[in-house]
Amino acid sequence: MKEPQIIVCAKQIPDPEAPFSNVTVNVEKKQVLVDAPDVISPYDENALEAAIRIKEELGGKITVLSMGRKVSDTVLRKTIAAGADALILLEDPLFEGLESNSVAYVLSCAIKKIVAYDLVLTGRQAGDWDSGQVGLILAEMLDIPCISMARSIKIHDGAVVVEKTVPVGYEVVEAGLPALVTVSNEVGELRYVARSKMLGLLRRPMPIPKWGLKDLGDNAERLKKVQLMELAPPADMGRACTIIEGSTDEQAARLAAVLKELR
Amino acid sequence: MTPQRAMFWKIEDVWLFYVIAFIALGLFTVGVAIHIFVWRKSAPHGKTSFSWPALKHSLMDIFLGLRVFKGDIPAGIAHFLIFWGFVILTIGTTLLVVDDHLYHFLLGRNHLVFEVSMEIGGLFLSAGIIWALVRRYIQRVPRLEHRLEDAIVPLWLLAAAFSGFLLEALRLAAQRPPWGNWSFIGWAIAGWIPQGVAESVYPDLWWGHALLCLGFIAIIPYTKLFHVIGAPAAYYLHHSEEKSAGASLAPMEPGDSLNPADVAVLDACMRCGRCVQACPSNGAGEPFSPRDFVQAARHSLWLEHSPAGDIRFLSKQRPIEDKAAWYCTTCAACLEVCPVYGATFEAIARKRASLVEEGKGVPDLMNQTLERLFNYDNPWVSSKRERGAWAKGLDIPVLKADGKESQLCYFAGCTTSFDARAQEIAKAFCGILKHTGVSFGIMADKEPCCGDIARVTGELGLFQEKMENCLELFDKYSIKDVVTSSPHCFHTFLNEYSQTPFRVRHYSSVLKELMAEGRLKPKNPVNSTVTYHDPCYLGRHNRNFEEPREVIGSIPGIKLVEMSHHGSESLCCGGGGGRMWQGTDLRGEARMSEIRIREARETGADILITTCPLCLVMLEDALKTVGLEGKMKVMDLNELVLQSIEQ
Repeated sequence: MKEPQIIVCAKQIPDPEAPFSNVTVNVEKKQVLVDAPDVISPYDENALEAAIRIKEELGGKITVLSMGRKVSDTVLRKTIAAGADALILLEDPLFEGLESNSVAYVLSCAIKKIVAYDLVLTGRQAGDWDSGQVGLILAEMLDIPCISMARSIKIHDGAVVVEKTVPVGYEVVEAGLPALVTVSNEVGELRYVARSKMLGLLRRPMPIPKWGLKDLGDNAERLKKVQLMELAPPADMGRACTIIEGSTDEQAARLAAVLKELR
Repeated sequence: MTPQRAMFWKIEDVWLFYVIAFIALGLFTVGVAIHIFVWRKSAPHGKTSFSWPALKHSLMDIFLGLRVFKGDIPAGIAHFLIFWGFVILTIGTTLLVVDDHLYHFLLGRNHLVFEVSMEIGGLFLSAGIIWALVRRYIQRVPRLEHRLEDAIVPLWLLAAAFSGFLLEALRLAAQRPPWGNWSFIGWAIAGWIPQGVAESVYPDLWWGHALLCLGFIAIIPYTKLFHVIGAPAAYYLHHSEEKSAGASLAPMEPGDSLNPADVAVLDACMRCGRCVQACPSNGAGEPFSPRDFVQAARHSLWLEHSPAGDIRFLSKQRPIEDKAAWYCTTCAACLEVCPVYGATFEAIARKRASLVEEGKGVPDLMNQTLERLFNYDNPWVSSKRERGAWAKGLDIPVLKADGKESQLCYFAGCTTSFDARAQEIAKAFCGILKHTGVSFGIMADKEPCCGDIARVTGELGLFQEKMENCLELFDKYSIKDVVTSSPHCFHTFLNEYSQTPFRVRHYSSVLKELMAEGRLKPKNPVNSTVTYHDPCYLGRHNRNFEEPREVIGSIPGIKLVEMSHHGSESLCCGGGGGRMWQGTDLRGEARMSEIRIREARETGADILITTCPLCLVMLEDALKTVGLEGKMKVMDLNELVLQSIEQ
């Protein structure tokens, strides 16, 4: 078959793995302040890894799309270092704080502009708000089939064969191309990008197209922002550690008693 | 009649012998030339120069066989016998050629001495080989492999030795010279052989023996026998190389060339497996063998550089999984016992660096750890701003960037700063320093990571960044004197940085100095039996076995007992080489830390003392998982000393 053209949507977010003490919640301003470097949302990294594996097997081209009010190419060049071929940044002040439907709309405009594609991959959800909607809505807007929660993706005879994670095990689902697949972490971590490789890439000049709303149809009234009703910090649960002594049987019995009491 | 021996007695077509000898020597020379070619290609920038001390040291290694005796006396004796048997017979045969072609001197007494020496040589060789075969195939010493060449090489050599004795016996049986009994073995056999039979069989056996011996020379470069050339070369190159105190995982780019000593060492490996026996990872049942790793590295050098591929035809290289590279804790136990001074680190470092560069073979947890190290300047899930949190309320001076006066900087390091148990090391050490009135300070939340983890995991770009960052900060803070809690930071600063423009010590040296100066006097008796666990990077890598023991010994009431593995033979806790951050991704049948804590328990000690935050955390965890909590304690040396000076 011909070499697949793959589009991966990658969101830039503050590191969700940031140490606890680097995260503060401002209840009045309804803001979560994270003092941490920006990274690519982990599920989107899984999606990129899945794309790179397909490319390793069948060849083809991987284009990474990332949108936001301000998108850093130093963060997103990691995708190129890992194995993507092209990077397109969708950047516009109007892209700040959009709700999922609007995000999917902007992405769909960009993908329609790219025209030729066989497979669109997104993370199953973003690592900041965890809504998990954009991929599904995007497939609807592109009018292509969608398979969610992939743990393995193979392209075979013009179709995509996906192992879809379900609460007990997985299902194997097949769809004709082009299709959209949302990728789960079971696919595996994005391969490591060595510092030397990253630095080499940052030094190399590279054309990275930036598309704003104007380039994508200038349809500002379609964009809606998230209305945040309330924001509460997680309750300070404190930490208490008790070591339960005794033989294994005694430990089990005592643990059960302690848990019963806590219920 | 003067005692002497006629060359080529009863042999016709002597020219044929010379043709075969020429071919054998030709094969030998071509083989050795290929080895040298591969070495030069593998280490293109290496320089070698003549060094008398290196030569002397190498000759001692070669002729005394000390490296082979080390840690395995039976193997040492077997090797000693084979080595000297081989040397005597080789010299003897060479003398025979000289005697026949150049100068006839093996007459009379010379001849008798010659005959006796050759008997002894043959006896040594046969006894050594039989012993070696018994060890490998009957006693089945676990570290010895059973590959095709492991059988062919000794049997070949034994056939050559036996046929030599038999040939001599036939000659003596046929000739019956009056001095025949000097060849005491051949003479004894000759008594059983009728004269007529001897004369008729002799020529055929002569050719058989000649072919065995010449064939043996020819196969040297193509089998593990190559070590007879490779090992002496490796010794010389190793000794002539300028080495830092510890063996080093030198920073290098993937694909960077090796130095000549490493190449020679890799090529001289004859799979003896002492490294496997010493390896704590292998001992814990993990699927890692330093030998296989070194062999794989050797093999890949050959595939890359040899015009004829790998020429060790009788020992097929087994494939090695990329994952194997991540098991090594870089504890250096293998280097301690390797008869050719090992190059496990170079092999591991190259593999890890290439996996990191490629990106694909890095285990998930290591991947995350390296990301964290880059983003937050420590391998733990901790915020840099919390780095000095352990010092809260302890009234410890924080060094200032504009500090003009250089004073002692206590470099706590990542694990000591963030791990709740390891923080006790810092608290206790600072308590001691304050008690003795030493002026010092800490960098608190400005303290950087030394980069050790990046280095040992092969992330050399990141290590370079950490090193530059550290050097810059130390310069900005005018830090000229550093004491570390971790032997890992200590080793990295001292031996792995491209420059170390400051003095660096591990805290155990500082304690020792304070005691020597009389400023630190342990007085409260600690009435306990303790044992001491040598951290790999303080002991084996930096040869500091004594100072911590002296500090322990100066505490009144204490009794120090040793574990069966101690000093240079210490067993790794399993936390080095990045393993601390690998979790259970990599596992064997047992945990190294649990094996170690059980060994400590066997000494009957109440307290296990160590001098490294990684060891402390690993061993304390193991104490809980093997159920020894309450029966034994794991303590840092500082905690013990503090107990002994506190009011």
